[in-house]
Amino acid sequence: MAETKQVIVSVKRQAGPKEGARWEEFSLRWRPSMNVIICLRDIAENPVTRGGQKTTPISYDSNCLEEICGSCAMLINGRARMACSALVDQLEQPIRIAPMSKFPLVRDLAVDRQFMFESLKRVKAWIPIDGTYNLGEGPRVSPEIQEKGYPLSNCISCGNCLEVCPQVNEHNQFVGAAIISQVRLFNMHPTGAMNKSERLAALMGPGGIQECANAQNCVHACPKGIPLTESIAEVNRDAWKQALLGWLAG
Amino acid sequence: MRQPKIIVVGGGLAGLMTTIRVAEAGIPVDLFSIVPVKRSHSVCAQGGINAAKNQKGEGDTVDKHFDDTIYGGDFLANQPLVKRMCEAAPGIIDLLDRMGVMFNRTPEGLLDYRRFGGTLYHRTAFAGATTGQQLLYALDEQVRRHESEGKVKKFEGATFLSAVIDKGGVCRGICAMDLRSMEVKTYAADALVFATGGNGAIFGRSTNSVVCTGSSQAALFQQGVDYANGEFIQVHPTAIPGEDKLRLMSESARGEGGRVWVPRSPADKRAPRSIPEAQRFYFLEEWYPKYGNLVPRDIATRAIHRIVYQEKLGIDGQPAVYLDVTHIPRETLDRKLEGILEIYEKFCGVDPRVEPMKVFPAMHYTMGGIWVNAEDQATNVPGIYAAGECEYQYHGANRLGANSLVSCIFGGGIAGPAAVKYAKNLEKGAESTPSAVFDAERKRQEEKNQKLISQDGSENPITLWRELGDVMTEHVTVTRINKNLEMADAKIRVLQERSKKINLSDRAKWSNQTLNFARELENMMVLARVITLGALARNESRGAHYKPDFPERDDANWLKTTRAKWVNNDIQLTYEPVDISLIKPRPRRYDAAK
Amino acid sequence: MSSTTTQPDTSYLLRKLHSFTGLLPVGAFLAEHFWSNSSALVSRAKYDATSQELQTIPFRLIVEWGGIFLPMLFHGGYGIYIWLRGKSNVSAYPWVGNWLYVTQRYTGLIAFAYIGWHLYTERWLTHGTSTYESVAMDMQNPWYLTFFVVGVLASSFHLGVGIWNFLCKWGLAATVRAQQAAGQFGALVGVAFSVVGILIILSFRFDWHPFSAYLPPTK
Ligand SMILES: Cc1cc2nc3c(=O)[nH]c(=O)nc-3n(C[C@H](O)[C@H](O)[C@H](O)COP(=O)(O)OP(=O)(O)OC[C@H]3O[C@@H](n4cnc5c(N)ncnc54)[C@H](O)[C@@H]3O)c2cc1C
Ligand code: SF4
Ligand code: FES
Repeated sequence: MAETKQVIVSVKRQAGPKEGARWEEFSLRWRPSMNVIICLRDIAENPVTRGGQKTTPISYDSNCLEEICGSCAMLINGRARMACSALVDQLEQPIRIAPMSKFPLVRDLAVDRQFMFESLKRVKAWIPIDGTYNLGEGPRVSPEIQEKGYPLSNCISCGNCLEVCPQVNEHNQFVGAAIISQVRLFNMHPTGAMNKSERLAALMGPGGIQECANAQNCVHACPKGIPLTESIAEVNRDAWKQALLGWLAG
Repeated sequence: MRQPKIIVVGGGLAGLMTTIRVAEAGIPVDLFSIVPVKRSHSVCAQGGINAAKNQKGEGDTVDKHFDDTIYGGDFLANQPLVKRMCEAAPGIIDLLDRMGVMFNRTPEGLLDYRRFGGTLYHRTAFAGATTGQQLLYALDEQVRRHESEGKVKKFEGATFLSAVIDKGGVCRGICAMDLRSMEVKTYAADALVFATGGNGAIFGRSTNSVVCTGSSQAALFQQGVDYANGEFIQVHPTAIPGEDKLRLMSESARGEGGRVWVPRSPADKRAPRSIPEAQRFYFLEEWYPKYGNLVPRDIATRAIHRIVYQEKLGIDGQPAVYLDVTHIPRETLDRKLEGILEIYEKFCGVDPRVEPMKVFPAMHYTMGGIWVNAEDQATNVPGIYAAGECEYQYHGANRLGANSLVSCIFGGGIAGPAAVKYAKNLEKGAESTPSAVFDAERKRQEEKNQKLISQDGSENPITLWRELGDVMTEHVTVTRINKNLEMADAKIRVLQERSKKINLSDRAKWSNQTLNFARELENMMVLARVITLGALARNESRGAHYKPDFPERDDANWLKTTRAKWVNNDIQLTYEPVDISLIKPRPRRYDAAK
Repeated sequence: MSSTTTQPDTSYLLRKLHSFTGLLPVGAFLAEHFWSNSSALVSRAKYDATSQELQTIPFRLIVEWGGIFLPMLFHGGYGIYIWLRGKSNVSAYPWVGNWLYVTQRYTGLIAFAYIGWHLYTERWLTHGTSTYESVAMDMQNPWYLTFFVVGVLASSFHLGVGIWNFLCKWGLAATVRAQQAAGQFGALVGVAFSVVGILIILSFRFDWHPFSAYLPPTK
């Protein structure tokens, strides 16, 4: 057998939000169907750099390991993607791993995406039910609506669409594609539609839908293949109609 | 009037349902979770959620759902509460529907149902192949709504370390650690509800998420909260082998017509598609003609083990069998199973619509858990409640597919109001507890941290964890042999000793994930022993617990609940009778009509 | 962003206005301008006549300021503001839409500068009396000529992409297929304007009048 294959991984390290950043390189033993999470675990088990220097295990977020919880987004070879589904064999080496740049850094690869959850609050991303006691069945929903809504409800709040958006940055508070798409989802539902105008109004506030400049990066970066550009267009149409009507009707 | 205060630990389905119920009662809730609750393990559930709505006119009833659940659980579950759950299930589906879950629909706009393991009825409502995600989001959204109204305060990125229990043995709050600042703090509350999920990490690799360590359950156990039926661990028959995780291939693949097979001849090296029908061995269909590919999980798992280890018929001699959906129209696959098929494609690089999947059993679910009473999810410690996968109540010796989500929501729905009632009736609330009680607990936990950070040693927590997982998977899953169980227990105790020499290799006081993991590992080992000792003692075969040396169910001696207690810093097993007042136990056989 | 606001934020209105002015009147003016200048392709005299004609429309000042100069200033000025608030990342994500996003900014700037200069020289300095003769003279200067070509191409490109953006951002093209169609339409407009613009420049440069055959034969 040939000598064991190695995987070279280069990780951007930063001990905290205010510390300086540096890159560390690691050489790991290759195994079949290895992904980036396995690399990070290998490093945790033996935190020694390629140069033989002792270091600390890497901080990062992960949970489901099957691309459904949205925890493990990071920049892998410069692109925002999920670490658990990033297979080593499909990546160019050395694999460069860095934290997302549009969210406050916690440590190493872990970032704070609270902004997205706050935005969900602001647009009332929920169905306003009266209570959890027994009130009978929900409204009928046609299979067509279901087939449109289901993909939208797959958003895992990973933040990739914000990370790749040129309009999301420190100069402005753009909520990003995910939130706009959620507004479309809730406005589509028969009960959710009861808050439709509030959601649209929220999206016409500072950092709202107007910040979108149609670069359409979001739709390429979304691991769930959500039709984000379609969502943005539809919500945009509803929004200006509401603005115009509100203005005409006073 | 005194305003009570409730803490919920865990924000999966069970924890969120509890939170909503408490908030609805107008009581403030603090919700603690390691991960942002939207990222809880419940998102992994794929297949669906059960309720006997008889939407397909097959004559399904609540009683049949109840009977299937008890029978599937091999008569180890206390029956009255299970019956209540089955009665509540249709209402739970309605509620989720009202919350906007994008369930699959019939042309009339009603919910669609599919068939799942252990039943002959289409009883499982589903949202594509990501039902758990969809349900969790619906509850998450409702909690966010209560949060924006100021009724719920979330502590995400904080881990529960221990309960604060006063001299009278009453729980008064929790001690938790912020996973960024690593600060240890206590929080007072009149009642706690635990909904911390499963314990797959004890087995190293499983279908569970990373944070499913069972650590809080173990921490509570060591504070006097009893743990029941720990030995009942469900191994799912079909998972995709992987080094970091065994990714589930949901039962829904078989529910939609997927078939399990191996080549009849072990020497057959042809590509699966070129093997003719007659030379394929559909062993589940042949051995269990009535339920076929949809026999309960324990049975399918053992059948696959038999094929691989006894009959030596694993594909290419490997521990794997085919799960084949290639005969199902692509359109159906994409509409009903897209989510799970994508997982296979993504992680294996093979399109399962074209080529049969290779799967093997994997640890999946714990039927055992925190002991709770048969009425309202209360544990034996006053003020502590539990709901969801972390408690033991609903699934007996084996859980039926799509029954967990319903039990999580049902359990949470009971635990919330029960905790509120308890808190309201308390004569003296947590606010009158002397602060010394809180300070003492905080100090105890801070000292643990300090010790771990400062100790010098040669052991790596991840290595120890891998070893723990290997022992548990090899000896304490599908086939259990007393000699091996004894060995496993001895090995765990050695690991416990070795863990005293853990070297953290990270002494930072900020976002130190290694420190937290080392703490969890200690707890996992305690729970591992509870599971192993429970299995060792139970000399029979029942549900997921299978001993070749005791191949029969033994109702005379073992129709009883294992209840582990922490006495003098060690595990003590006690037993209590099972409430079988509604359905008389009968033999459980899936090769014939029941 | 507050959940209690019911009125759109000023930034929303300004953005919409920016998008709208790009198409109307700026885009429409561009179309009109290309159209009238095409008369150079017929003959020198036709061009001078058209030019003269335009100088004598009623309410000329109001039309020019309200319909052309001010909207253009706003569109350009606010466009630069938008540019400064974005942060391009096309090297990391070299996708078509992202390239268009970046080029839209640079072509916008070029077009803004070019149109401003063009207005200054052809409208201001000449008091609107530019003639075929004077323009043709200018075109003999290679620097002048290059600037014209670059300016025309940038404006055409900016308009084409702008139409696509407009249709997407107002939700007039919502589905993926509609957006594709809108993109093709935008591209068509961009190409058509580029071709016509270059033809006009060629006409001035080489005294070339391919449509002179339309004229009644002179005796
Ligand atoms: C792959 C897979 C597929 C499944 N499919 C189905 C299905 O189709 N149908 C079905 O019925 N069941 C299914 N199940 C089972 C079901 O998903 C789980 O049993 C259920 O989701 C458990 O929910 P829970 O609320 O109890 O816990 P979880 O969702 O696991 O949530 C636990 C919560 O506790 C928190 N937590 C844990 N420890 C701590 C701590 N120390 N401090 C603070 N917070 C803590 C976590 O952050 C999390 O928020 C499946 C399970 C798996 C693994
Ligand atoms: S829309 Fe897609 S990319 Fe954006 S957060 Fe959701 S899943 Fe991630
Ligand atoms: S760990 Fe959940 S998405 Fe990667």
